[in-house]
Amino acid sequence: MSDRKLPRLLQTPAVLLLLVWMLIPLGMTLYFSFIRYVLNSLRRPEWTTPNLSNWRGFGNYEFVLKSKDFLFAIQNSLFIVCSILILTVILGVLIAVLINKTFPGQGIVRVLLISPFFVMPAVNAVLWINMILDPVLGLQGIAIGSINELLESLRNVPLVDWFFSLWPKLEPISFRATQTSAYAVIIMVTWQWTPFAVLIFMTSLQSEDQQQKEAAVLDGASAWSQFRFLTLPHLARPIAIVVMIQAIFHLSLYAEIEIVSRGNGNKNLPYLIGEFANNNIGAASATGIFAVILANIVAFFLLRMIGKTLME
Amino acid sequence: MGRIQLKNVTKSFGDVQVIPPLDLTIEDGEFAVFVGPSGCGKSTLLRMIAGLEDLTSGEIEIDGEVATEVPPAQRGLAMVFQSYALYPHMTVRKNIGFPLRMAKIEQAEIDQRVETAAKSLNLMDYLDRKPADLSGGQRQRVAIGRAIVREPAAFLFDEPLSNLDAALRVGMRLEIGELHERLKTTMIYVTHDQVEAMTMANKIVVLRAGVIEQVGSPLELYHRPQNEFVAGFIGSPKMNFVKGPEAEKHDAATIGIRPEHTDVSMTDGAWKGRVGVAEHLGSDTFIHVHDTGLADMLTVRVTGDISVKHGDTIYLTPQADQIHKFDAQGLRI
Ligand SMILES: Nc1ncnc2c1ncn2[C@@H]1O[C@H](COP(=O)(O)OP(=O)(O)OP(=O)(O)O)[C@@H](O)[C@H]1O
Ligand SMILES: [Mg+2]
Repeated sequence: MSDRKLPRLLQTPAVLLLLVWMLIPLGMTLYFSFIRYVLNSLRRPEWTTPNLSNWRGFGNYEFVLKSKDFLFAIQNSLFIVCSILILTVILGVLIAVLINKTFPGQGIVRVLLISPFFVMPAVNAVLWINMILDPVLGLQGIAIGSINELLESLRNVPLVDWFFSLWPKLEPISFRATQTSAYAVIIMVTWQWTPFAVLIFMTSLQSEDQQQKEAAVLDGASAWSQFRFLTLPHLARPIAIVVMIQAIFHLSLYAEIEIVSRGNGNKNLPYLIGEFANNNIGAASATGIFAVILANIVAFFLLRMIGKTLME
Repeated sequence: MGRIQLKNVTKSFGDVQVIPPLDLTIEDGEFAVFVGPSGCGKSTLLRMIAGLEDLTSGEIEIDGEVATEVPPAQRGLAMVFQSYALYPHMTVRKNIGFPLRMAKIEQAEIDQRVETAAKSLNLMDYLDRKPADLSGGQRQRVAIGRAIVREPAAFLFDEPLSNLDAALRVGMRLEIGELHERLKTTMIYVTHDQVEAMTMANKIVVLRAGVIEQVGSPLELYHRPQNEFVAGFIGSPKMNFVKGPEAEKHDAATIGIRPEHTDVSMTDGAWKGRVGVAEHLGSDTFIHVHDTGLADMLTVRVTGDISVKHGDTIYLTPQADQIHKFDAQGLRI
């Protein structure tokens, strides 16, 4: 036996297991996406069991493509994912650079900063939508209420009353509304995932070469130039990693969307699958296949982007 | 111009005083070398001159102007680090041009100055490479190029050659010497390698535990070391020290004799001993002699090759006019 065969042979069971692990669900999804398969149908009881005789061809795909939410869900998926990526990377870099300096209480600050990451997504969503973003009872409602009260009392103060009477009464924003529910999800996921970015960037910053910085200081680089020309390029790789991992996670957001508005004005592909899966497994499976394709496209572009930054 | 003056400079890290009050003047155009054992404060002193380290007290003047509070970039000094400290994400061209870019100089002029520097350092073929794709010696030249383009008042080098292999080190030593001849700019060079110090310096500053033991030209230090420490530090192999009755004959507590100032004979001489290890370098032979009753071991240097075996009896005679005498405090008599 050549010395290459043995390792291959030893790997085979694991590889086979992984293949089976992936191929069976994918195969079943593909199969369901080509047949008529519903959970309840009084009119057509034969559709409630998966069977090749219920073959529908690309019918499920057509149905999904024509459904009014499909394009919206794709756009919205991308909108949410990209917004979260941009926000977490910017905030993550800023915070990591700030807390990388030594200061008293550093350890506690770092632990506190990381803690949002350990909150469960559903808890995170409930917490934000009810306690913070709620227009009446949440922090938002309370804050806006007290600002309005303050403005009101200032309108009665002589000399400045004319100035403050020009100010409008502030209205709280309802984050469960059709137009705003996506923003609520973006805010809460950003809050939860910024610590992840901070953590990765901080480890990277600690491996930054101090003599390079000193050389830059002697070369006349300002703090901003040092950040721009040394720190940021140094962070290129961790940024790529953060973007990649988060993109994979956030394409499948579900709990937050469900809790904020039950999909009202804010759907992504997984949520659409969930809605279809209430009854129409065929359509849900077809949507699942679309989701796989979308994930692959996103992964393809991300990998190319990362490849580029790694080349540089 | 680049006349650097340290006046009463001290440095403490916390409670530990690393540099006790120290005065030193480096004249314009001089090649000054700081030497001393590891941890004696050479780097700290250099970094204080560069402005990377604050002074605990005292003053630094550059060209007669107090520079103590001047930020590092405005002191007009360029530094070359031991680790080169090149910017890894930039090409060689960008690396060399970086200080100019930071000084907001026009791109056309930057290009031209970078090319001039690259030509003089033989870097033309590597301008578009990243530092990671260069050899150690090339990286070192890039670091020097980055210092040259600024046309600084003085260059500061912190052990720039210690990461290079022996052959390359000799080559770079010559190149830096060449550079100094051409630019005539003040250079301050830190090393713990006394060969580098001897070959490159106009002025050697020997440091021990933050204190200047002696300042002088290489040959001054070689021929008239002020104390035992300098005598032992300068010269290779190390000077032999003899205490006791033999020293008293010369009215000294200790006498020192350099290995190259000892005559060797197999038949007769002043001191009798037994040959230990003999190192044959071809051009020279270093013989370590034991059992002389004077010191643990004496080293002698014989020009050319001499056939001695381990255990042979050997006679040594110090050249009378080359004996250095030191008193009980280790100071030269
Ligand atoms: N940031 C610092 N904090 C505390 N002590 C320091 C610091 N930097 C240097 N020292 C101490 O100051 C002394 C001088 O250090 P320095 O780096 O100047 O030595 P050096 O002569 O350059 O040695 P080497 O030849 O090993 O580079 C050392 O004892 C070192 O431990
Ligand atoms: Mg040092």
